[in-house]
Amino acid sequence: MERWGGMLRVLLSVPGWRGGTGGWAFSSWRHHLPPAGLSATELVNKWTAVFEKEGIPEARESSEYIVAHVLGAKTFQSLRPALWRQPLTPAQLQCIRELSGRRLQRMPVQYVLGEWDFQGLSLKMAPPVFIPRPETEELVEWVLEEVAPGPCVAEAQGGPLILEVGCGSGAISLSLLSRLPQSRAVAVDKGAAAVCLTRENAQRLRLQDRIHIVPLDVTSEGSWAHLLPWGPLDLIVSNPPYVFRQDMEQLAPEIRSYEDPAALDGGEKGMDIIERILALAPRLLKDSGSIFLEVDPRHPELVGGWLQSRPDLSLQLVAVRRDFCGRPRFLHVRRSGAPDGCPVDVQPGPPPARAPG
Amino acid sequence: MSASGWLRLPAPLTRMGPGPRRLAALLSPGAGVAAVQVAGKKDRPALLPLDEGALEEQFVKGHGPGGQATNKTSNCVVLKHVPSGLVVKCHQTRSVDQNRKLARKILQEKVDIFYNGEDSLAHREKREAEKKKQERKKRAKETLEKKKRLKELWASSTHAHGETPGGSE
Repeated sequence: MERWGGMLRVLLSVPGWRGGTGGWAFSSWRHHLPPAGLSATELVNKWTAVFEKEGIPEARESSEYIVAHVLGAKTFQSLRPALWRQPLTPAQLQCIRELSGRRLQRMPVQYVLGEWDFQGLSLKMAPPVFIPRPETEELVEWVLEEVAPGPCVAEAQGGPLILEVGCGSGAISLSLLSRLPQSRAVAVDKGAAAVCLTRENAQRLRLQDRIHIVPLDVTSEGSWAHLLPWGPLDLIVSNPPYVFRQDMEQLAPEIRSYEDPAALDGGEKGMDIIERILALAPRLLKDSGSIFLEVDPRHPELVGGWLQSRPDLSLQLVAVRRDFCGRPRFLHVRRSGAPDGCPVDVQPGPPPARAPG
Repeated sequence: MSASGWLRLPAPLTRMGPGPRRLAALLSPGAGVAAVQVAGKKDRPALLPLDEGALEEQFVKGHGPGGQATNKTSNCVVLKHVPSGLVVKCHQTRSVDQNRKLARKILQEKVDIFYNGEDSLAHREKREAEKKKQERKKRAKETLEKKKRLKELWASSTHAHGETPGGSE
């Protein structure tokens, strides 16, 4: 009864409505104000058509995510089937209209919804903080594969201790923390908004006690020294800005207009931050500590070559892993032994052999 | 392999008869055969993971370099088990990774039912659950009847107590 009353109120609020079926041309009325009788499925179809007409990419997916979100589900397929056919309330319709309006401005869906999922965690999203990409979930999976199994001395000591460079929304750090119950993380980002968002997401997930979030630009001189107090690290993980400078212009409007370009631009060969992380790693990592990076498919070769030109770092490219599209996307670099000219690793161990007297 | 193409294989395997042990005997490596039930813990059959070589997966692959340069939200995974022709479409979560795992799990169950029919894990579990339910009902009924009889006995003995022993027949 309430539903019909709501519908009537909506109909009567339309200017010029004279009541009854003959007072207003049904099609033009539908055009101006969606009647409350539309179901979720019909709405998805309607907005898909609108998005397609306006040249919005992923028209159907965008429409499905928005409608599902308003109905309390993460994806349209995961909605209770009963909800697909039920008419929506005017409030829900209004909400969908607002969100769709933002999508029509080419705002990424994740910003439209204000949230997105990563490795099963629900994270708040807000422009201009970089939106986690699906490939990066595989980076986390790889780290877990390498770290979790087998006897782990680090775990016994309450580790591993992880540094994330360029944490953005906190996706990588927080998903690792949630899957490695003994781990702790230090997450840094040069963007204030990113630091803020990571803090908020850490609190939402009740992980704030296990993560230190620090505003830090790793490319600035002496910044790494601020990280030393946390002690030698087991792991460095990063999805650093790795887009080639010349490719920045070709990015879709969704990315160009809404995401922080500093989170994407890796310099001429997309290597600037990658090189910086690798250069700092030996000073921050334990012996045999690992670095896991997400990179552009052109980078594995470039990084291999660059590491060879820097034997002073004592870093080895251990493995390259492909993403689900078959592109070389992830690197595992390991530190082997103390780098030349740098202080010996602080871990307790057997005393160095005495030189013959 | 194009994003929209399916790899074509020779005619799918014919439907096999029941019996997990027989299926296990028929299994040969590299034949892209059906999921087979194996003895898991406590003689509970479990499903073997599907042979990845027998699967064809389709999800939207971003144009261009992917990664940071694109922002795709189409995380729907379409997974096909080529020998049986069964297809699963999974968009339960916002994660490609999780949808891939779920799609495999759902497809695994479907393939089991396809090849093992009544002997499939799903059907067996259903029968077992039904059986347990019937047993519980039966026991509950028996308990109720017992109580009823006891009550009657008690009532009649109380009645008899009031009469002289060896009372009228």
